[in-house]
Amino acid sequence: MTPKKFRVNVPGIAFALGCIAIMEVLARLGWLTSYVPPPSIIFASLFEGIFNGELSSQIGATLAVYFWGLSQATVLAVFLGVMMGTYRPVYNAFRTIIEFMRPIPSVAMIPLAILFLGLGPQMRVSVVTYAAFWPIMISTLYGVRGIDPQALDVARNFGIVGLQALWRVTLPAAVTGIMTGFRVSATIALVVTVTTELVAGNSGVGFYISQMEQANRLPPMYAAIILTGILGVILNAIFFQLDRRIVFWTPAAQDRVA
Amino acid sequence: MSISTRTIAARRQSTEVSPTAMPGDRTVKGTILSLATVVILLSAWEIMARAKHSVYIPPVSTIAVTFVHEWFSPTFRDQGIPSLYRMFCGYAIAATLGVSMGVFIGYYRWAYRLLDPVLQYARATPPTAIIPVGILLIGIGDWMKILVIAFGAFWPVLINSADGARLVPRERLDTARVFGLSSFDSLIRVVVPSALPQIAAGLRTGLAIAFILIVVSEMIGSTNGLGYYILQAQRTFAIPEMYGGVVLLAILGYCLNAVFVLVESRVLGWHYGQTARTQ
Repeated sequence: MTPKKFRVNVPGIAFALGCIAIMEVLARLGWLTSYVPPPSIIFASLFEGIFNGELSSQIGATLAVYFWGLSQATVLAVFLGVMMGTYRPVYNAFRTIIEFMRPIPSVAMIPLAILFLGLGPQMRVSVVTYAAFWPIMISTLYGVRGIDPQALDVARNFGIVGLQALWRVTLPAAVTGIMTGFRVSATIALVVTVTTELVAGNSGVGFYISQMEQANRLPPMYAAIILTGILGVILNAIFFQLDRRIVFWTPAAQDRVA
Repeated sequence: MSISTRTIAARRQSTEVSPTAMPGDRTVKGTILSLATVVILLSAWEIMARAKHSVYIPPVSTIAVTFVHEWFSPTFRDQGIPSLYRMFCGYAIAATLGVSMGVFIGYYRWAYRLLDPVLQYARATPPTAIIPVGILLIGIGDWMKILVIAFGAFWPVLINSADGARLVPRERLDTARVFGLSSFDSLIRVVVPSALPQIAAGLRTGLAIAFILIVVSEMIGSTNGLGYYILQAQRTFAIPEMYGGVVLLAILGYCLNAVFVLVESRVLGWHYGQTARTQ
């Protein structure tokens, strides 16, 4: 299978622009409620916010929490996933706790996190870590348990056992699964970062949205909401490329839906 | 290729309630070990909490008593039922619109191409970010939450249904045409059944998002509901009540997932049976 060639989807982009144009006209004619400003004003406010620093400083805060939480979750989840996948007693010891903790929606942890860590970035990082932990952990577990036992047998024949087998056989074989979970987590982590800022932050794009809403400054509020989507698209594209680079050998990496 | 990996992925997801069980896991020794860890952790919590007298970490027994006291009482009617009602209304709207529009978009290639950029963008936007818009446009009543949930859960259902319908094997459609099925007939009788595992995956993601959205929308703008209850408990330092609320959410999340898996295995059992035979 050859890699998908990059093609500009002209009708698709035209359609999106057309929708924005129709909204513009409707808003200018006053056919929408006054709560929906015309898109041109929203985009102007977006650029203004980015260039005068009001919005861009909040992007920095959001991304810091996002990457901190996501990387912390990745390290913990891969570690626990590999341990549980490799050693059956570890799996048995943790499985009931995991079945009880996993269905808790991550946002329910926000009040708990506020209690222990206050309203600062530390609190948000802990909630993001919790949310991003599960998909990576579960898919690592799948990946490790799905390893062909023959691969481990062959390794043993060559004297590769213990930690070395973990590093040279288990991890490379599980990396496809890990990356699948990682991309799910990367999406969830952004949602949870923005959500936590909305509910109880003191910085970040989500915090900015709720502040603008309370101040009734609608164009910057919509601008920030649109920005969260743009951040999502950019992060998604970055991790899509990363995924393809890391697990380049699977056919799925060639035609996986972005 | 991609169809078979997809079905395997979907089947794996369908057994998620007990993640990745393998033969030999459910031994007596393993079960004892798994329960022992829980008992040890909970008793350690109990002992530590009683020794330290921390306000933030009440003993497990206190939480359990509060839990029973709070939730086997009218509190559940006042806080729990509204949450569930909003969630199901929103989810029902999202599921109905998402599946029907998604299958349509996936089946007609031009529609998929036309809407693709919009869908990619909508999927990448954190759904909770539109709650402030909902509050502005609709206020903080039931309908705000229902529509926010419907909006947020709609995209994963739509996108997955569209992907499922788009990736129906060519041979099946050709066979349908040979048998003289009209375009609409093959949509209903070939495309929808083929796309079901993918649709189910979308519905599952949508359910998880709906659950998150109900909690968040009640935290941000509400006067009742479980999200409101937990945040309010934290703000008024009703700590055992807060833990109790989190436990209740865990139980509800677990039950929702279990019901989903049950329905899915009933509806899709034939599908998995079939793919297992051909592999």
